[in-house]
Amino acid sequence: MMSWDFLWRHTGRAVIFVTLCGLTFVVCFPLVWALSTSLKPKTEIFATPPTLIPKAPTFENYAALVTGRQQYFQSGGQQVDTGATPAQFFTRWFLNSLVVTLGSTLISIVVSTLAAYSLTRFRYWGRTFVPYFSLLGYMVPSIIFVFPLFLMMVRLELTDTLLSLVLGYVSITLPFCMWLMWAFMRSIPIEIEEAALVDGATRMQVFRDVVLPTALPGIIAAAIFAMIVSWNDYLFGRVFLNSLDNLTLTVGVMLFFEGTHVDWGLLMAACVLMTVPMAFLFMGLQRHLVAGFGAGAVKG
Amino acid sequence: MEVSLEAINKSFGSVRVLKDVSLHFPSRKFVTLLGPSGCGKTTLLRMIAGLETVDSGLIRFGDKVVNQLAPRDRNIAMVFQSYALYPQMSVRQNLAYGLRVRGTPKAARAEAVERVARILEIENLLERRPAQLSGGQRQRVALGRAMVRKPDIFLMDEPLSNLDARLRITMRAELRRFHLDLGATTVYVTHDQLEAMTMSDHVAVMNSGMVQQFGTPAEVYGRPANLFVAGFIGSPPMNLMPGRIEAENGVPVFANEQSRVPLRHLTQRLQVGQHVVLGARPQDLHLASSTDEASAHGRVWVVELVGSEKLVDIDLGGKRRIAVQVRADAHVREDDPVHVRIDPAQVHVFDASTERRVFEAA
Ligand SMILES: Nc1ncnc2c1ncn2[C@@H]1O[C@H](COP(=O)(O)OP(=O)(O)OP(=O)(O)O)[C@@H](O)[C@H]1O
Ligand SMILES: [Mg+2]
Repeated sequence: MMSWDFLWRHTGRAVIFVTLCGLTFVVCFPLVWALSTSLKPKTEIFATPPTLIPKAPTFENYAALVTGRQQYFQSGGQQVDTGATPAQFFTRWFLNSLVVTLGSTLISIVVSTLAAYSLTRFRYWGRTFVPYFSLLGYMVPSIIFVFPLFLMMVRLELTDTLLSLVLGYVSITLPFCMWLMWAFMRSIPIEIEEAALVDGATRMQVFRDVVLPTALPGIIAAAIFAMIVSWNDYLFGRVFLNSLDNLTLTVGVMLFFEGTHVDWGLLMAACVLMTVPMAFLFMGLQRHLVAGFGAGAVKG
Repeated sequence: MEVSLEAINKSFGSVRVLKDVSLHFPSRKFVTLLGPSGCGKTTLLRMIAGLETVDSGLIRFGDKVVNQLAPRDRNIAMVFQSYALYPQMSVRQNLAYGLRVRGTPKAARAEAVERVARILEIENLLERRPAQLSGGQRQRVALGRAMVRKPDIFLMDEPLSNLDARLRITMRAELRRFHLDLGATTVYVTHDQLEAMTMSDHVAVMNSGMVQQFGTPAEVYGRPANLFVAGFIGSPPMNLMPGRIEAENGVPVFANEQSRVPLRHLTQRLQVGQHVVLGARPQDLHLASSTDEASAHGRVWVVELVGSEKLVDIDLGGKRRIAVQVRADAHVREDDPVHVRIDPAQVHVFDASTERRVFEAA
């Protein structure tokens, strides 16, 4: 006879398993549906009953976004031209998003890593509480910062430029990145650096050869955070930018909803294309997050 | 390269960690800093390495004052208590790093690494990361990293403390041999007196930030300069008995309720009535058969067999005990009444108030 303990353990596992499956389904279903819709021809999108797997899969939506081809819509049996549409700007917006995300991430990472190194390795007034204060900014909603920052951008005559957005994102990602790097650097045993100093390295060599490789998992974590914030932001983009050429993806894709006609196929294809870079980034980098966590440096 | 420390002081906040430390380490000798945990050994070593600033005092290598010199300009090598290997580098890269940053050509680098790896027998580990090594192997890599550069001064901070007892014994001999081969001045930190005694040319015994005695292992063991050194060095520890000096036929006699020991060789050095502490190592005490040659009497409290010896704890009454070491085949049993013979030539006398040794007249 199976013992109660055995039963309990196994039902417990089953419950957890089913719950996780359910959660995964709830999380993934919209994505799957978006993918499915983006692959359907216009005639199939509102077909009843709805199809999960497109009967006649097509890449025309993706092609339209990538090539910026002229659009048409279906009216009775006719195809009618729509004139200029958001789809024509899609590649431009994608590029804008990429530039802004990479730019703000790069700045955040470089500055926060150097700042964290300084905070953990040198002695000066304020080094103990600066990291904690840096988190204060996250206790208020970021909408509070948008308008002051916007006014500053007006003064700097930077409105409606990608640079303004880069600076805006840096101002919200940097404090957290710095706190993260600070916590991470604190855990790197200082003896490794001292060993390198005794070995004959200069401060910069120590930083490059010993600190950076050891801090890499922390840097990657901070970079992922900064990228997600910048890539997914809508608020800052909406407030700071206005000419069509300068929009980022999140703001631009909202324009698909405007006008009388919403092309769901195009919209969904745009959403999928927006999601893909982040998804791949995650898959590629998550390994580094845990790998090589300073193991074996010090006795243990 | 000889190393001199002159009146070194160091405080962390309000805590004085080193107090007027002056030491002179002769060139090419193996010198050990020995002392209990927290006495400032690591701090002193880090100052020699240039990793810690000096509040006041001078550090000289040869004639040159190095107080302001960066670690990289001191031509030292250091083995850290925690080994501090570079986690992201292979063993080979760990060994070569010091040469690389100093601009040694690649071929010479490879050759030096191979040589050290051969000596330390870690040739088959060169491609591994520190995380994939055992404690003993990491320790060897740490040593190798220090050896590869031919330093003037070789600093080691308790390099054996993380190893098991057996490996520690073999490594003791190997470290001593490395020192001889390397020809550098070695400064070795430990709180293990056995390591200090077996490996060193000179020992600096430290306690609470002060040097208690500096001398050869034989001097430190044979003529401890004060009560701290007497109690710290030697295993089993020295018996220490407080008492007073009385006179008997013009000869000073150490006396307390349990024992009397004439101290003829210290006649000029002791005053009647002086409070002293008498120290006698268990190895220097003997069990006597008759009452007349004995200096103390008691009852066996506990007998411990320690390999080829027996350690006999004797209750002298008045809550006082004394340990005597005898051969393992001696017949002593618990509760036997015994007599202890204390050889006056082999005792150490310390002034009770200054805690310093009363030295024999020169
Ligand atoms: N960075 C520091 N800040 C404050 N106090 C310190 C610092 N480093 C050491 N100390 C204090 O200085 C004293 C001496 O420390 P040190 O590390 O030199 O001792 P040690 O003799 O090496 O001890 P152990 O045998 O335990 O390694 C200790 O009381 C320690 O708490
Ligand atoms: Mg120490």
